[in-house]
Amino acid sequence: MTTIPTNPSELHNHSIKTWVFNWHIIRYQPYSYTIHSIFTILGFCLQVVPGLIVKSIFDSASGQAASALSLWALITLYGLVELVRLGLSLGSEWYGWTFRLVVGGLLRRNLFASILRRSAHTPLPVSSGEAINRFRTDVGEVADFPLWLPDQVGKILAALVAVVIMARINLSITMIIFLPLFTIVIITRLTWGRILYYSRLSGQTTDAVTGFLGEMLGAVQAVKIADAEKEVVAHFLALSEQRRLAQLHFSFFRGLLDAVNSSAVTFGIGVMLLLAGKGISDGTFTVGDFALFVSYLWFTTQVPSELGTFMGDYKIQEVSIERLLEMVRPEPSHRLLERHPVYQHGPIHLPPIPTRNNENHLERLEVRSLTYTHPEFFRSTTDHPSSTPGASQARDDSNFPVGITDISFIVPRGEFVVITGRVGSGKSTLLRVLIGLLPNSGGEILWNGEVVRDPASFFRPPRCAYTSQVPRLFSDPLRENILMGLPEDQIDLPGALYQAVLWQDVEQLDRGLDTMVGPKGVRLSGGQIQRVAAARMFVRAAELLVFDDISSALDIETENTFWDRLIGARSNINLDKTATFQSPTVIAVSHRLAALRRADRIIVMKNGRIEAEGQLGDLLQTSQEMQRLWKGEIDRSNNHRS
Amino acid sequence: MSSGSLLLHYLRPQAPRVGLLALLVLSSIAMQLINPQIIRYYLDTAQSGGAERSLLLAAALFIAFALAQQVLSVAALYISQEVSWSATNRLRADLALYCLRLDLSFHKRHTPGELIERIDGDVTGLANFFSEFAIRILGNVLIVIGILFFLFRENTILGLGLAAYCLATLIALAVFQRLAVPRWAAARQASANQYGFLEERISVSEEFRAIGVEAYMIYRLLRLMRIYLEKYRLAFLMGTLTTNLTNLFYVIGYTIGLSLGIILYLRGQVTIGTAYLIVFYVGMLAGPLQSIREQAQDFQQAAASASRIQELLQTQPAVQDLRVLPTNNRSASDFFPSEGPSSVEFQGVSFRYENGENTLYDVSFHLKPGRVLGILGRTGSGKSTLARLLFRLYDPNSGVICLDGQDIRLSLISDLRQREGMVTQDVQLFHASLRNNLTFFNRRISDDQLLQAFNELRLSDWLGRMPHGLDTPLAAEGQGFSAGELQLLAFTRIFLKNPGLVILDEASSRLDLVTEALLEQAIQRLFLNRTGVIIAHKLQTVQRADDILILEKGRVVEFGPRLSLAIDPSTHFYKLLQTGLEEALS
Repeated sequence: MTTIPTNPSELHNHSIKTWVFNWHIIRYQPYSYTIHSIFTILGFCLQVVPGLIVKSIFDSASGQAASALSLWALITLYGLVELVRLGLSLGSEWYGWTFRLVVGGLLRRNLFASILRRSAHTPLPVSSGEAINRFRTDVGEVADFPLWLPDQVGKILAALVAVVIMARINLSITMIIFLPLFTIVIITRLTWGRILYYSRLSGQTTDAVTGFLGEMLGAVQAVKIADAEKEVVAHFLALSEQRRLAQLHFSFFRGLLDAVNSSAVTFGIGVMLLLAGKGISDGTFTVGDFALFVSYLWFTTQVPSELGTFMGDYKIQEVSIERLLEMVRPEPSHRLLERHPVYQHGPIHLPPIPTRNNENHLERLEVRSLTYTHPEFFRSTTDHPSSTPGASQARDDSNFPVGITDISFIVPRGEFVVITGRVGSGKSTLLRVLIGLLPNSGGEILWNGEVVRDPASFFRPPRCAYTSQVPRLFSDPLRENILMGLPEDQIDLPGALYQAVLWQDVEQLDRGLDTMVGPKGVRLSGGQIQRVAAARMFVRAAELLVFDDISSALDIETENTFWDRLIGARSNINLDKTATFQSPTVIAVSHRLAALRRADRIIVMKNGRIEAEGQLGDLLQTSQEMQRLWKGEIDRSNNHRS
Repeated sequence: MSSGSLLLHYLRPQAPRVGLLALLVLSSIAMQLINPQIIRYYLDTAQSGGAERSLLLAAALFIAFALAQQVLSVAALYISQEVSWSATNRLRADLALYCLRLDLSFHKRHTPGELIERIDGDVTGLANFFSEFAIRILGNVLIVIGILFFLFRENTILGLGLAAYCLATLIALAVFQRLAVPRWAAARQASANQYGFLEERISVSEEFRAIGVEAYMIYRLLRLMRIYLEKYRLAFLMGTLTTNLTNLFYVIGYTIGLSLGIILYLRGQVTIGTAYLIVFYVGMLAGPLQSIREQAQDFQQAAASASRIQELLQTQPAVQDLRVLPTNNRSASDFFPSEGPSSVEFQGVSFRYENGENTLYDVSFHLKPGRVLGILGRTGSGKSTLARLLFRLYDPNSGVICLDGQDIRLSLISDLRQREGMVTQDVQLFHASLRNNLTFFNRRISDDQLLQAFNELRLSDWLGRMPHGLDTPLAAEGQGFSAGELQLLAFTRIFLKNPGLVILDEASSRLDLVTEALLEQAIQRLFLNRTGVIIAHKLQTVQRADDILILEKGRVVEFGPRLSLAIDPSTHFYKLLQTGLEEALS
């Protein structure tokens, strides 16, 4: 586990030179890359041969030069050479695609793994839509670039050979054809600037169009209720028109560039026509030479502009690499290039399932002077984007980590501890720092008296399981949403469903546990989602259960049942031999009466510190903050009486 | 409307530009076809020792035509893009409006992502096709025909042979393409699965870590990537094979052209210039043939896009304006009063969703103007459904709903929705300025009206803190705003609309005290001289209600004035209060 630097200036030190990066990815796939390169270079060099053959054919047919081979042998040879080139190109493509896909796979795997290690302390610097865009296009760009190198080498070699042959036939014509090409290089470079600009602009305007479209469709109910369909669509049309202009400019410059490039060929032919007339009349420049020049012009004149494109691509790749590294930071850049199998062949094995044993048995959890200060820049960056694209709902303030200071408490085995406090008092932060989702800036955590060195890797099943305030479901069957890789035959799924008060809900679904849920499936209510998340936790049978406001969307009756069953599980230790719910120790953030009433102990937070701690009855007599919170909850229930 | 008439409908306004485009394309083709003829003339003249003047003239003509042809092709490209973007932007807007007007049940079945694919993805597919249709399909077909024409002129056998060659090439490519298309569909599906998987998961790493499933998530990604890799490599292989096949046909064609040209020359039937002309023309055939094949593929995709758009346009909303009325003849005021509190009446209303959830049975009640109704019930009891029916987001299966004493089914939907306002718990924001977010992009609402609304809701100070006032850009995710602030924005929206009925859907859960106080004030202002409905499943939210309605599994179990229900021990409401009380005192 790497340490996470908190100082922003440290974050930008991890960069890597573009060529070093390329060298690394080439070394990951050396065989496919080498074979691809050999095939590509050979294929391009063979381009020179057909021109020579055609020249011989014309020359021997017109009797201007005798040929060692007969006309028909030459024509057959021509066909054979072309067939060999086809074969080479097929091979080079196959290995090229293998390289792209395998290297791309590795980069995507490493990016995803890095994101999974990321904490809310250093959130992803881009929205999830943008992140996916980088997974797709930037990874594609980066994995594609090394393949351009043999391409360029092959083309340049072929062009050099061709130019030498042409120069030996007629030096002056060759020079006059090729000298103006340098202007084309300059025009190409200039035009590329415009093309890149407008390509970015049309990317941005397209994002604006599709982004707004998504927001508008996500908010369809709100739009209908506001009777604002026409107005919203008018705005959409205005955004679309901006995109049209950007696209028009882009295509114009693109077309201009293409035109300039193909002009090079026709210009070359034109020059030849102007200069070769006399040569053809007196036989020093044959029709065969003419045919050879025309055939060579097609590939030699493209080299300068392709070289320009290649340099442009180098820049693009540099940007893409940077965009990928940005998603890996604050981890060092080598984590993006770590070597892992991407399983082109062979079985992919399920990761091992953690099992409960005596080693991770919890007797006593102790927290000493735990402190967390969030970095200044946090508020300006993106937090969790909403699940529907575009349109979204209000985020609870407590999703921003509030700082906590000097928190100490002890939880013995089997206790039900409730942490409560006002909005912004640091309850959620405390939980997240405790289990290592946020890095602590001071203090220590002891598990059975031993200091936990790395909470992030320690507090996970089978020791600990946690559910966030707003849990997520994924577009999978409900069963998969709960199990997430656990083998169903080795765990107590019905028990977990019972425990999570989810049985009835499951029975009401059309296809029960096989019902597709999540964004692309049946939409469950907030309370149902919270209980699915609870079940997800319960199947993991952890020693310590940590809930962040799990019951906030439950109605009172369901909430009571939920806590009763959890407490029941604790008191029925000896009855329940299936071992799924052996005496869990519970830490829960809640402000609800149902939880407070059942707590063995309550920790009251205020402004990031522990304000009071004890049993409900005592706290209500001694702690003003507890009285205030309690009164607030009671008022919420009793207001109707006034 | 068929695909063709759909296309024509949107292209008609562009007719002059389409005409110009055709002219440009035709001239450009003519130049491409004439240039090889110049080369032939040149070679023959040079070989026979013709005048140098005519050689130079030919060379100059060749260069002039070549350059002119490039200019024409850039111009044609530009105009074709202009035409297709202008036309399809209109189509996009029309489709978007059409979708917004479709029922909520439609939107429940189709995610925004899916509809974006229809409205933008499919339309862009069409745009690409039509912008290039003129240049590439028409142009290329004409070039092929032109070349064959010139070859026939030289020699009939030559013409016939190469026409057969063109036909064989197209057939072979089409067959190959049929093999490749399903491979590509599979590859795209694999790609969609892979990125869909990632998209849902990259923002929730904490949850995965907290239950220790990161390794499992990587395992799932690896499995998806394996499929992605296999499908894509296969698809690309098919693509390469197709390209190679094209090249192979080029080689064959070139060999045929070369052989025939040489044979004819050796027999003295053509000059060396003509022999070269034949080879040159045959070389020119390959590009257009390849383009035609690609376009045929695009055509299939464009046709598929067009048919999906048609399908969308055939979806009819179940909720529609019942009567077709001359709209200029009447206004909202004819049907509903434009001011003052509304009355609400449900008469035996029953409703069930398509999937059978949250059904309402025989709901009847009457809410007098100016009163506030609190609706109580558990999740799924039908509270939100009831509100949706009031907005005609759905129509009931039976029974009548009246607003201001009028059956809402007889009104225009737009009139009805102007008369009502709703604040939901999820406040939807757009990636746009604060102003546009408040006015819902309605430009007729002036800044003065906005400022007045802020004033009335006591939010002027809050507005003063916004960095650019009404021009402050808002992020779609509402970042920087607390839940309470977002609701306050929603209240401002309602204030601007000035409806007679305001519905609050679970408005005040999970807020901090300051915001809650601000909201209290705002709610008070909002309910002033309006009829109100508060939907909540917590008792505390209905404190300000005059009447109470309790729903259980879609049935009204109780309706009456709050005060009298609260003191009658036989009521459900009384019992609910008791539960709350017991809860509070234990």
